[in-house]
Amino acid sequence: MAMNDLSKTRNIGISAHIDSGKTTLTERILYYTGKIHAIHEVRGKDEVGATMDSMELERERGITIASAATYCEWDNHQINIIDTPGHVDFTIEVERALRVLDGAVLILCGVAGVQSQSMTVDRQMKRYKVPRIAFINKLDRSGADPRRVTQQLRDKLAHNAVMFQLPIGLENEFAGVIDLITLKAIYFEGEEGRDVVEKDIPADMVDAAAVAREEMLDAISMFSDELMEAILEERVTEKLIHEATRNGVLSMDLTPVFLGSAYKNKGVQKLLDAVNRYLPSPFDIENTAVDLTNDEAPIIVEPKPEKPVVALAFKLEDGRYGQLTYCRVYQGVLKKGTSIINSRTQKKVKVGRLVRMHSNEMQDIEESSSGDIVALFGVDCASGDTFTDESISVSMTSMHVPAAVISLSVKPVDQKSSDNMGKALGRFVREDPTFRSEVNRESGETIISGMGELHLEVYVERMKREYNCEVETGAPQVAYRETISKSVPFDYTHKKQTGGSGQYGRIAGIVEPIPAEEDAPDFEFVSEIKGGSIPTEYIPAVEKGFRMCLDKGRLIGFPVLGMRIIVNDGKSHSVDSSEMAFQAAARGAFREFYGRAKPVILEPIMKVEVEGPQEFQGAMLKSIMQRRGTVVGTTEEGGYSRTESEVPLSEMFGYATDLRSLTQGKAEFSMEFARYLPAPGEVQKELKEKYESKVPDDD
Amino acid sequence: MYRKFVNARSPLRLLEKGLNGGLGIGNIGVLVAGHGVGKTPFLVGVALDELLRQGTVLHVALDQTVSHVRAHYDTVYEELASSTHLDDAAATHTEVDQHRSIRAYAPSGFSAAKLRDAVKVESEAGSKPSLILIEGLEEISREDLLDVGALATELAAEVWLSFATSGEQVTGIPEEVKALDDIVSVVLALEPGDGSVVLRALKDHDNPDLSELHVALDPKTLLLVRN
Repeated sequence: MAMNDLSKTRNIGISAHIDSGKTTLTERILYYTGKIHAIHEVRGKDEVGATMDSMELERERGITIASAATYCEWDNHQINIIDTPGHVDFTIEVERALRVLDGAVLILCGVAGVQSQSMTVDRQMKRYKVPRIAFINKLDRSGADPRRVTQQLRDKLAHNAVMFQLPIGLENEFAGVIDLITLKAIYFEGEEGRDVVEKDIPADMVDAAAVAREEMLDAISMFSDELMEAILEERVTEKLIHEATRNGVLSMDLTPVFLGSAYKNKGVQKLLDAVNRYLPSPFDIENTAVDLTNDEAPIIVEPKPEKPVVALAFKLEDGRYGQLTYCRVYQGVLKKGTSIINSRTQKKVKVGRLVRMHSNEMQDIEESSSGDIVALFGVDCASGDTFTDESISVSMTSMHVPAAVISLSVKPVDQKSSDNMGKALGRFVREDPTFRSEVNRESGETIISGMGELHLEVYVERMKREYNCEVETGAPQVAYRETISKSVPFDYTHKKQTGGSGQYGRIAGIVEPIPAEEDAPDFEFVSEIKGGSIPTEYIPAVEKGFRMCLDKGRLIGFPVLGMRIIVNDGKSHSVDSSEMAFQAAARGAFREFYGRAKPVILEPIMKVEVEGPQEFQGAMLKSIMQRRGTVVGTTEEGGYSRTESEVPLSEMFGYATDLRSLTQGKAEFSMEFARYLPAPGEVQKELKEKYESKVPDDD
Repeated sequence: MYRKFVNARSPLRLLEKGLNGGLGIGNIGVLVAGHGVGKTPFLVGVALDELLRQGTVLHVALDQTVSHVRAHYDTVYEELASSTHLDDAAATHTEVDQHRSIRAYAPSGFSAAKLRDAVKVESEAGSKPSLILIEGLEEISREDLLDVGALATELAAEVWLSFATSGEQVTGIPEEVKALDDIVSVVLALEPGDGSVVLRALKDHDNPDLSELHVALDPKTLLLVRN
């Protein structure tokens, strides 16, 4: 195949709810495209596990945690597949994968349909403007109903979902699909369903197929005047249908729906045809970077080989042979043996080895096409870094990284674990921007923080398995913050005379709260010093002094945010003033004004969506209310009710278990960080008492 | 400004005066306007007035998603809080949110029985509504509307419905509303006027003389204002 024909490249993701079968589908795709020679099931009896689940833990749990990139070829097209995790606690992985994708296959379970996690993932796809096609899987399962699921795509996700196929039989009689474009019955025969066989439509389905085809044409004719005319003149061609569909998919106004059962080897090849036909090539998508030489003005990067190279490192993995960096090349060509610059660190790195990944195996290549997804070997960088050649200085726009909301102390059980823990944490932090690790200065404890209980649990588990590092964990801690609620003036003099040269610095000004709006800075320091009342060289020391106080608020010891300090007066001494003296003055001023500025404790509020059968909506509402939650609203559809609410994170521990018992396991929920809000009075009081009982007064 | 002053100065007090005491509990009011004229901001304005007076609101949306309606509330609240310099605006916002529930249904999936179910669930969870808003109704049967009226009486609540007309100007009470005239107490029209969107009474209980309402919707801020 023409490897450099970019119009035949597809960078796609496979995204969906945890149990809709995406790993099984990916496995089948790799099998049919000749990348693997045997099929292993996710929780298979052969103990090999599906190829895309590259980590042992994933194999054991039967879920996909880290996204592995792999490529394959189908019908003269090159397809790069990013397998994305489905659980909400790992959404950064999904989000990062979506950033580098041009299109996606949204898999839905033919029985369970659109579930709350499908909604989260779909919202993320909308955010990154990823065109989608849908695949309704598991039609061999009892209770499968693709029409209902298609309707849910319309009602719950507001997709213009249109069935391009009809099922021939359902549940254990599911035999194949009717292609509504060619009006042929398609069966998947031979070993592992490899042979795609076209036959006439079964006689009892001819009428239904004609009706469904008309519905389909009606919907897609909106995207092509030519097709609309052709329909009226009864001269519709397959080409016209494909073109109109592609237009609709690229503008994100149409979601064609395909059917099958990956497990039973049905429907996968036709889905691959649809990927090639309807999902965009890198040419079809406009990507922007920011120009670092021009005040971060946005510039368009184009997948042209003659332009300077721009590549984004979107995923790091530590393998047996060192760090593997997955990159999307947005512009130019990445060549083996050349040098590139990391635009964050400005460090030059050499492209020693360039590989194309197939799950855990790799293939060396000399150069990447523009628009391709490849991996670099042994390049020191962090996830989200941009590489360019020396002629330009740009960075791909920053990715949306949510704040960490929960933390856990980890303590190695023995010396060996202690040695390995640093290595493990270092790697996880580089790989996952939502995972953080720090050592508490006072207690000496190592604290890890992230997006949810499960997120941290998985890393603790990975430490054990991959690094042989056993740790004891503390109780999960909510990441509270502190802020002030009142604007107050301050005037503080730091004076010390203990023999030798003394210390002197006076600072005065106003401290005020910064309203909590989107993009509001956490801290702002403004110097309005005129006439040198504080010498210019000491002003950075004043700012530094204040910043040192922000790590630990005086209410409960959590970081302080939303504060603007304006320094407008001060005094220095020709002998006794120094940077140290002004730093100390700032710290003293902070201690003095903090209490007067009416500090409050902020708690992380999560956006929680609970979904379940309507008969449980009372229980679902109550479960939210009992947790100090605010119900935003409820949507009722087809016997299901979905409640959107905002609940303090501290109240969400153990919610999964409670919800299960309240709803006989029939409801599920998803959760993501929404914002910080002041905690109610009694909660503040309790937190303060708890803190004061632990920490001696340091005044 | 303190909340009680915001309440006292609300243009809604003017509306109540114009309607000889307002809609009244147990009654149904109808708002008619063209598409995009401002039915949702008007109803949100009415709801926020009720919420700031410690009421509880159930907002039923048949043609919008929960997050869409919520966004309307947030926008109008922020405008209201900043234009009135409302004291303790952030805490009040949280409180307002806690007493408002939005329910979204597919238009075909809504009925008076559904509303009863929703009210029951909300009441059991501690939010018995004192004001119910129903937006996006295309049609409602006489029986259903009678039942909505009965529910309003049981709850001692007021109910506002909104109906869309085809043009921007409202020529009179639409036919589908006229047929239910005996069940509906108040009909208001919202129409684009000179630089603002003006409110006009088409029916005021049994009062044959319709007075001027002196209330408008500012199309820029989406706030209800004196006119």
